[in-house]
Amino acid sequence: MKTRFESIAEYIKKHVKADDYNLHISAMNQHETRFAQNAITQHIAGENININLEVAFENKTGRCSINQTDETALANLIKTAEEMAILNQPDPEYVESPKAQTYPEVQNKMKNTLELKPEQMVEIIRKSIANGEKQGATVSGMTEKHQVDVLFSTKNGFQGFYDLTDFGHSMTMKKDHIETKVSFESKDYGTFDLDKEIECLNSQFDALKTTQPFDACKIPVIIRPAALMEFYMFMMWMMNRRQADEGMTAFTDQLGKKFLGEKFSLMSTLSMPELVTLPFSRDSIVSEETYWIRNGVVETMPTPRYWAKMKNLKPASPFNIFIPGGNATEEEMMKMVPRGLIVNRFWYIRPVDMKAGELTGMTRDGVLYFEDGKVKHAVNNLRFNEVPHDTTRRILALGESVLTDSSVKLPTVLVDGFNFVDKTTF
Amino acid sequence: MKYLDIAMEAAKSLGADYADIRIQKSTTQTIYLHNLSLKNTSTDSNEGYGIRVFKDGAWGFAHSNVFNADQVAATVKRAMDIALLSGKAKKGNGLTLAAERSYIATYRTPVQCDPFQIPLKEKVDLMMEVNRMMMNYEGIRQAVFYLLMHKDEKLFASTLGTRLDITTQFINPMITATAVMDGDSQSRTFDEGGRATGWEWISQLDLSEKAKQIAEEAIIKVKADTLKEEQRRTLILDPNHLGLTMHESVGHPTELDRVLGWEADYAGISFATPEKLGNYKYGSDIVNFVGDNTLSEGLATAGFDDDGVPNQRWYIIKNGILNEYGSTRDTAPQIGLVHSRGCSRATSYYNQPINRIPNLYLLPGEKQLTPGQLIADTDDGVYIQGRGSFSIDQHRVNFQFGGDFFWEIKNGKLHRPLKKVLYKSCNPEFWNSCDAICDERFWRPFGVVNCGKGQPNQTGRMTHGAAPARFRNIRVGGSQ
Repeated sequence: MKTRFESIAEYIKKHVKADDYNLHISAMNQHETRFAQNAITQHIAGENININLEVAFENKTGRCSINQTDETALANLIKTAEEMAILNQPDPEYVESPKAQTYPEVQNKMKNTLELKPEQMVEIIRKSIANGEKQGATVSGMTEKHQVDVLFSTKNGFQGFYDLTDFGHSMTMKKDHIETKVSFESKDYGTFDLDKEIECLNSQFDALKTTQPFDACKIPVIIRPAALMEFYMFMMWMMNRRQADEGMTAFTDQLGKKFLGEKFSLMSTLSMPELVTLPFSRDSIVSEETYWIRNGVVETMPTPRYWAKMKNLKPASPFNIFIPGGNATEEEMMKMVPRGLIVNRFWYIRPVDMKAGELTGMTRDGVLYFEDGKVKHAVNNLRFNEVPHDTTRRILALGESVLTDSSVKLPTVLVDGFNFVDKTTF
Repeated sequence: MKYLDIAMEAAKSLGADYADIRIQKSTTQTIYLHNLSLKNTSTDSNEGYGIRVFKDGAWGFAHSNVFNADQVAATVKRAMDIALLSGKAKKGNGLTLAAERSYIATYRTPVQCDPFQIPLKEKVDLMMEVNRMMMNYEGIRQAVFYLLMHKDEKLFASTLGTRLDITTQFINPMITATAVMDGDSQSRTFDEGGRATGWEWISQLDLSEKAKQIAEEAIIKVKADTLKEEQRRTLILDPNHLGLTMHESVGHPTELDRVLGWEADYAGISFATPEKLGNYKYGSDIVNFVGDNTLSEGLATAGFDDDGVPNQRWYIIKNGILNEYGSTRDTAPQIGLVHSRGCSRATSYYNQPINRIPNLYLLPGEKQLTPGQLIADTDDGVYIQGRGSFSIDQHRVNFQFGGDFFWEIKNGKLHRPLKKVLYKSCNPEFWNSCDAICDERFWRPFGVVNCGKGQPNQTGRMTHGAAPARFRNIRVGGSQ
């Protein structure tokens, strides 16, 4: 694929008349199988390509993308982008394309995933369904495999390529009021253990058999990694440097300050081979080991290239997410507080107040109530209104960080006084 | 086009029980102006074909962007192989498809002035003028104008003999002003959603006036008071707020695939299960929701869906009672329905169609009632305009919504502006609390262009609509 991409890049280089350009080519080979209520409902396979060209005449820009690769299509791509740029108004925030840069070598393409056959994927589903049927339950989920290739090339000499693979399998098991989910996602299918996933699913399922109603209140909560990922992703999104500098978010004037809790750090790292690590961003910012938050101090904020140029800063972009954990187990966490809840996942998180950094959302796929160090029963799902950066100041303990998504590694955390505000009927 | 015939012949020769091909070219023009900086001025197109094969009660779907006879035949074969694999994990005899006849038809979104033909300069000049207007206000720190134009050109053929030639398009302008002062930041947005029409709509909107209004209201909002403790209050909701409320609390729960549990692993299921049809009191007697894919300027109006089923109009909630769902050819038979309601839609050629919300709207009240009369008839409450924060559980029961602009109502008058207002409610409490709906003169559509659903995620679109309506005894308060 790299050679094919390079020949497209050569064609563009040869024929573009504009003063500057950024070329981004990506291709994806996908195989996705959705199953629900113990049967496959959708099954998709195919390949696609996207060729995205942004050109500039001085500071007038135009962009076009296509998914055809013949010379006629490429010529039309250049023509459309250039015509748009010529007709456009100048962009006062235009930034010239990046020059040649060295970027880290990464290994995101895994043989085990590449060699995975559709027949094997269906077999994974059949075993998942068989487990559900044994419990008298229904199982729904998705088994997927992707191969992605990306090339980025600019007029000023940057040229970069990477490829990656991705495998995922999720299972939601449901019977009467019991509903719970596990999911696995990694670049390497070789690390997938279906039996382990099924064991985890069954364990969660069994724990939910006795449910009692529970009213919303402020209470300590053990947030499992899948829930934490949803929750802190939104905080990361609200950490944009420009928006902070322009007074629009809670992170305004917080750079270099201990704005978050001492126990909380958040980084993008090149040092964990199990994580998908993109060597450069879509904005061609080269990936570097970055602490966004270190021991509660805001150390770096994602900074777009224009803002970096304006403020004489270094551009920065997250390329994976790692929250360093601790060594507390869930059992130990349950003993640290008189009572609390364990949340498996959150769902439908949305910002409530950008300036305050407040979010709302629901629990999903199992909430457990514990008291005196032991799980007592499951409870109904609850709504929270919370401020993620505030919750980091209330972290009492962290568990070991685990792979939560192919590019995310997070711990379980125990947070005091989590603000649940409403409950639902199930 | 010859590839339609090649694909259908190949599917028949391989023994498909049913097959269809959708050749689709999607073109999107996006202009994103942030303050006076053009962050994105782009034309994006993708074209290819998706082929569905149904064999022994199971689906296979394969897609390609390579147009030649060999590749079309190979893609059919791939879809068939996948369908056979799918058949290894099916329940009983697998799925069945609702009966349908063949059609030969053409549909075009009625457009007087194609937005793609308007010179870029004219569009950008308008947008610059609008953003300048907003930036001229002291306190406005950010002005955003987002203009989206989209066109889908589809050719569809099925082994039933159907041949369709469909072109749909829409346009969606959205303007936001953000005020920063006194340690707070608040935005106000003009957003009527997308509309299946042409540039003529933009010409009618008087966006410069809208820009002034939202800039002034953003400044009013950032200085406004907040509601403190949560209390049971009366709400009056504007159509461009109600669009999202009905989308989340009526539209999604009445998608038949969710009802059947097909989205259990991702988007969720529905409390509105089949035994409730015909007897469940979803709303008060004046609440009537119609699914209507024949709606003029509706985003889901396309003549036919991606199953080749004609667009229809039907009651989803009638006189407050759950009446029917939005269905597709593969979901309808699961609850004993003979025909699909034509809600099968895919976003791009490479997406397998899924069960989607139709154009869905709340019928206006039958008695003459103006918004002014509705407010005058309300002693104490909150009037909400526009979209804000929104969140709902995965069974579509409990929800919390914000809004974009708020007025406190006291003694039948708009008393003071508010900010950071939230309301919490659930099904069926919310729609049963509806005690007044303004009449048809005040009914307005709201087009959703970014409804995320499915894995891999697809972005669906549909139009909602309502007249201003009143809801009693809802929990309303401020954010933290």
